[in-house]
Parts: sequence; structure tokens; C-alpha cells
Amino acid sequence: MSFTRALMENLRVKLGAMDPLPPPPPLPEVPFPPSRVFPTPRRRSAYAEAAARHTTALVGIGHVGTRYATDVVLQFQAELAVAHAAVGTELPEDWAEKNGLLPLHSRVTSHRQFLLRPDLGRRLDEASLARLNEKARKGVDIQPILADGLSAVACMGAGLALLAHFTRECEARGWSVGTPMCARYARVWLEDEVGQTVNAKVAAILLGERPGLGTGDGLSAYLVYRPRIGCSDGDRNMMSNIHARGAPPEQAARRLAVLAGAMLDQKTSGVPLNLAGLDLGDAGGGGYRAPEPRVRLVYAGDAQDKNTKERA
Amino acid sequence: MNLSASIRGVGYRFTSVTEVLAKANPPKSGDDLAGISARDAVERVAARAVLADITLAELRAHPVVPHEIDELSRMVESTLDEGAYSAVKHLSVGQFREWLLEPSTTGPTLRALAPGLTPEMVAAACKLMSNLDLMTVGAKCEVVVRANNTLGLPGRLSSRLQPNHPTDDIDGILYTTREGLSYGCGDAVIGVNPATDTPESTAQILTRLHDVRVRNNIPTQHCVLSHVTVQMKALDLGCPMDLMFQSLSGSQKGNKAFGISIALIDEAHAKMKAMTSNRGPNFMYFETGQGSALSSDAHHGADQVTLEARCYGFARRYKPFLVNTVVGFIGPEYLEDGPQITRAGLEDHFMGKLMGLPMGCDACFTYHARMSQDELECLKVLLGAAGCTYLMSLPVGDDIMLNYQSTSFHDIPSVRRLLGKRPTPEFDAWLNEMGIMDGLKPGERFGDPSVLK
Repeated sequence: MSFTRALMENLRVKLGAMDPLPPPPPLPEVPFPPSRVFPTPRRRSAYAEAAARHTTALVGIGHVGTRYATDVVLQFQAELAVAHAAVGTELPEDWAEKNGLLPLHSRVTSHRQFLLRPDLGRRLDEASLARLNEKARKGVDIQPILADGLSAVACMGAGLALLAHFTRECEARGWSVGTPMCARYARVWLEDEVGQTVNAKVAAILLGERPGLGTGDGLSAYLVYRPRIGCSDGDRNMMSNIHARGAPPEQAARRLAVLAGAMLDQKTSGVPLNLAGLDLGDAGGGGYRAPEPRVRLVYAGDAQDKNTKERA
Repeated sequence: MNLSASIRGVGYRFTSVTEVLAKANPPKSGDDLAGISARDAVERVAARAVLADITLAELRAHPVVPHEIDELSRMVESTLDEGAYSAVKHLSVGQFREWLLEPSTTGPTLRALAPGLTPEMVAAACKLMSNLDLMTVGAKCEVVVRANNTLGLPGRLSSRLQPNHPTDDIDGILYTTREGLSYGCGDAVIGVNPATDTPESTAQILTRLHDVRVRNNIPTQHCVLSHVTVQMKALDLGCPMDLMFQSLSGSQKGNKAFGISIALIDEAHAKMKAMTSNRGPNFMYFETGQGSALSSDAHHGADQVTLEARCYGFARRYKPFLVNTVVGFIGPEYLEDGPQITRAGLEDHFMGKLMGLPMGCDACFTYHARMSQDELECLKVLLGAAGCTYLMSLPVGDDIMLNYQSTSFHDIPSVRRLLGKRPTPEFDAWLNEMGIMDGLKPGERFGDPSVLK
């Protein structure tokens, strides 16, 4: 026997290897039925009902120990899948033209590159710059730019409505509005190069914001006075959550026009822009509006949801 | 100072401390975006070998943004605790790492050392550490602060309750707040990111949250995370404000993009000192996150870990009650996936704690980053085990206004039970009195928001 093996053997004896282990204690009976299983589907709690009149947050959902009930887990996973699907959706190449918008394209060449290289999403590719120079109206007060941003779903959804409402609000105030256009693979700062090229006083990019859980329909707008390459975030004013649960497009357009008006008056934007005393009217977002209810997404078995379509 | 190394006969030569720090960093999409990362794993090790031999004194002499163009660099230099610094200045970064890991280097020693460290020293040590190294040292650090309750004691894990709403509907905010409290969340702060950044709405939300706090006698504090200038105006309107908030960046230029400067935060701090509704002595709240400097082209060729540490150098000037990194919030262009976000969370916690801050973490991902829900849940446990002061908490982790996924109301009691951690002592007593918790176990009224008035 080797020295090491002898040592190990010795140690085993010392630790009681010669004595058999005591018998394990008997296992308890499994109680029947398991004590804390919820009937499915559960009714919504009174608290959840009351809260739903004011928020889409998932409250009043109960718990199993400190964790979620199974139907909550499934709803969460379905909503996560919706968000990921929205992120993965791309704006079709011909969408802008089909909708009567001047098509622009950033320097990005793939969706993954779009996510990892915001610097390329902030600049126009050569063909787009040439097209802009050739076809767009120059020297305007306001240049709106519709764009995909992080949700092509939102751009293709409420994007056109927001662009139309905003254009109407601006024209109603007597401002000249630039050629309607739509940019693909675009980041916020793309408005600087576009605005500079068309010599606009204010550039306003309206773009899909990053999808939330179960959504992907939200738009944001970023406005900048005297757009030029080299502007930073502190030079911009923004509005987010332009969707049915936040500010609907019509209301948002009015608020953006008020903001653009302040920029034209004060000849500045961003941090130095004084927002005190702006008359937002009902566009201020105050007052009560019922939130859009959160839709139950998962039903096992035969369709209980009248919108269900068979998956091919 | 030596700036070269060789690996298997291949020589690597670097031109500056800033370059060595950047190339020693573990892979981050943000450093790739800035064009400053190591070209491969071998060059990364070479940079680490060089860094391991650089002394802390040399790092002090070479901040990544020069004094001449950056007020943060100047402020850190002029306010450094020379006594604490002189105890470690001769150590190389490699020796410093080992000294930090020694069991004889205890929490109180690290707390005493904190004012003598520059952000560059802390970031350098971070780059030589594995995730478990970061957790080992992070867990040793003890940073205790006090407002209406006492945060950061050993064996505690706190949470911010984050009842955000896309239109600031105050009833919606309060429904979410009561739900969160009934799960034992909210001992660090009840903090709302407002959709509308005006003094009036800031004051209104603060006033209504204050009412809930007073009516239910809850030992915690509240905050509305609007821009610091907006909060100062809200104070003038005469509202209660327990904590004042601001996002920070790691360079003067980055802070300018946030619309702030040292002078402005000094002014806000002085105003808050005179007017805060909390018992103190700590009343500031700061948020940071890797990538914020680069996103405003204010990184000066430095990597995002070092710039993050510089945010902490800024924050510690004000002895804040809360600091947290919002680790996966900015997006995949800075932290691409689960491993990068996990690593960054542990790095930021380690660096903040080592600089003497009550460091929390918003462990989170945006839906366009490649991190799974399971990876995120793991990170919460890692942070809890690393002694993280607090995590966030939202209904199902879903921020319906900012559109990202964070910690949930259910996660907080789950992680606490798993790790044997409790909330702040004052809040713990309140939870037990209300029947929400029974020690570490859920109490009779757990998850029942009707327990709150």
C-alpha cells in the first residue's frame, strides 16, 4: 500500500468508517391533495381590478410562497416573446416609398450592426445624402423625420399618424414644414445630419422606442434647434411613451408643436430651453385617462380568445 | 514606468496608462464601439501584466482625463485623503489586488482607505479580478448610511420600490407602491422616474408619496428622479423631499451633456441640506451606468469601467444615501449580453463599495440585449451574495414607462430568504408589526396591499 493510500485509510477509520451509518429517518407521507394549488384560471383580485383603472402594471397578482403562480409565469414569458419579436422586426426596404415618404438609409448594413454600432446609425449613407440634397425642400422651419429606431413595429403602426398630426399642427401655426421622409436603421442623432443638409431651423425625429414587456408600439420624438453634426443629448428635448397607454399621437403632436414653437421663439433647445409657462393645454398629459387593459395572452386547449388564429 | 510585456516571446508595447487600462478590460461591446479594446485575448493578458506592475502612485499621476480639461480629475486630486493614500501608494496594482483579497484586510480597514483611492486605482484593481474576486472583496466592504432608516448594515439587503407610470397617474403610482410594500420592498427608497419633468408634477408626486409614508408610519424615504434643477424648483414650491436625485457621468464633458457640473451639484446639495424632510445625515441619491460617457462622446479614449469609477469619485463628495448603477439599461451597444451585464454589475458594485459608497445595482436588461430572464435572476443572487446594498423592485420586474426588465417585488423576498438577509432594521420591524413578514418567512398579510392605508 502506498504511503498516501495508507494515510487515507487511517483517516477513514478515524472518521468512523468501521461503524455503519445509522438508518435514515423515515420519509414523511406526501399530503394529499397538495395544500396550496390555485384553481386555474384564477379570478383577478379586487385590488387588481381597482388598480387596472389606473395602471397597466401587473399588480394584485398574488404569490406562491415568494414566487409567481404558474399562469403569471406563462403570461410573463408570452409578453417577453412579444417584446423580442418586436425588436427583431425590420422596416421593409420599400416601406417609405410605398407610403409616399422620401426614403433615407443610415450607414448601417445589418440588424445586429444596428444594435451594436449607434455611430453608424447616426449618419446617412452616400446615396441617401445625395437623394436628400436632390429632392428635399431646403430652408424650412421644421423638418420632421419618421424613422424605425428600435421598433419598426411602432414606426409602421402609429408612426404615420404622428407624422401627419405633427405636420398639421406645424402648418396651422404658419411654419414651413420639410419634405416628408422616413429613415431606416436610424438613431436619434441622424436628425442632425438631415436637418443640417436641408437647413432646417428645427429637426424633429419621430422614431420607434425600445419595446417594453408585451409591447413594441411606442414612439419617441427628439427635437433640436439649428441641427448640425456634433449636437449632443443636452441640445435636445424629447418626449417618450407616444402610444395608446401614454400620450396618443394626436395629443403628442400638439405638445411637440408647442415645444418646437418655444425653440423657434427662444432660438435654442435642450438644457437652456426654458419650458416654464408653456401653454400645453390638454396636451400636457394631465388629467385622468383609463389605461389600455393588459391582455391575457395565453390560453391552453381550445381557443377561448375570439382573436385566435390557427398557426399554420 | 514600464508599458510593455511579452507573452510566449511576442512583445506588446502600449503608449499610455489609459490604453493599458482600456485593453486590460474584459470584453465589452462599448469598448469595441469606442475602438479602444484589446484586439484579442492575448493582448488583453499582456495589458493586464503591464497593469499589475504599475503602482497606485503612478495611477494617481495619470488620470484618464487630464486635469487641464476636466474638473472631476482636479476635484479628485485636490480632495484625496493623503493619509489613507500614503498607506497604499507604493503598492503595484497586482499587490493591491492581493492585499484586498487577504482575510486580514477587513471591512473597517477598507472603509478607512476609501477616501485615499482615486477612481483609476479602483478600476485598475477591478480589471485584474475575476467575478468571484469582485464578490469576495465587495462582500467585505461595509458602508453604512442613514436617512429615515439605516442602510448597509451586515446581513441586510434593501430595495428601491420603483412605481413608475407612463403618464404619472398618481393613483396608478400609489397602487403599485402599496403592492410593493406588501412584498417587503421599498426600504432603500420609494423612487419614481417621472414621465413629465416639471417642478409641479415632481412636487405633487412627492407630496402624495409622503402622505402614504406618514399615514402608515413607514420608516423609509421618497424621491422623484427628475433633473436636479427641477427638484430644486420643486423644493421652492414647498414639498417634502427625503432624497435628491441626479444621474452622473465620468467626465466634465459627459456631465455637461447631463446639464450638470460640480458647482451645480454643490448648490443642490447645500439647498437640500437646509430643506430636506429626512432625518439624515445622508440625503443625496445618484445613478450611474457604464457607457454613459461614450453615449455623449465624452469618454476621452478611456474605457467604460474606468469612467464608471470616476462617477463614484464624483458621487462620494456628497456622502450620498444611495448610489446605484443601472447596469443593463443603456443597451447592447455598451453591454451586449448576459455575461457582459453580469460582469459589469459585479464590477460596479465592487468599485463603488471600495470607494466608500452604499452601492446598489439595478440588475436589468433592455429587450434588445441578449440576456435571458434566467441569467438576470442569477445576477440578482450573485449581487445579494456580494453584499450589494440594494436592488430595484417593480411589478414582475416590468417598468411600464422606461421599457426594461429589472428586479420584481417577488424577487426581493426570494433573494433575502435564499441568502438569509433582512431589510434595514427599522423597516424589518415595521414589516413584522404589519404582519407582512414573519422574520424571513412571508407573514399573514404578505402580498396583501389592503394592509396599507
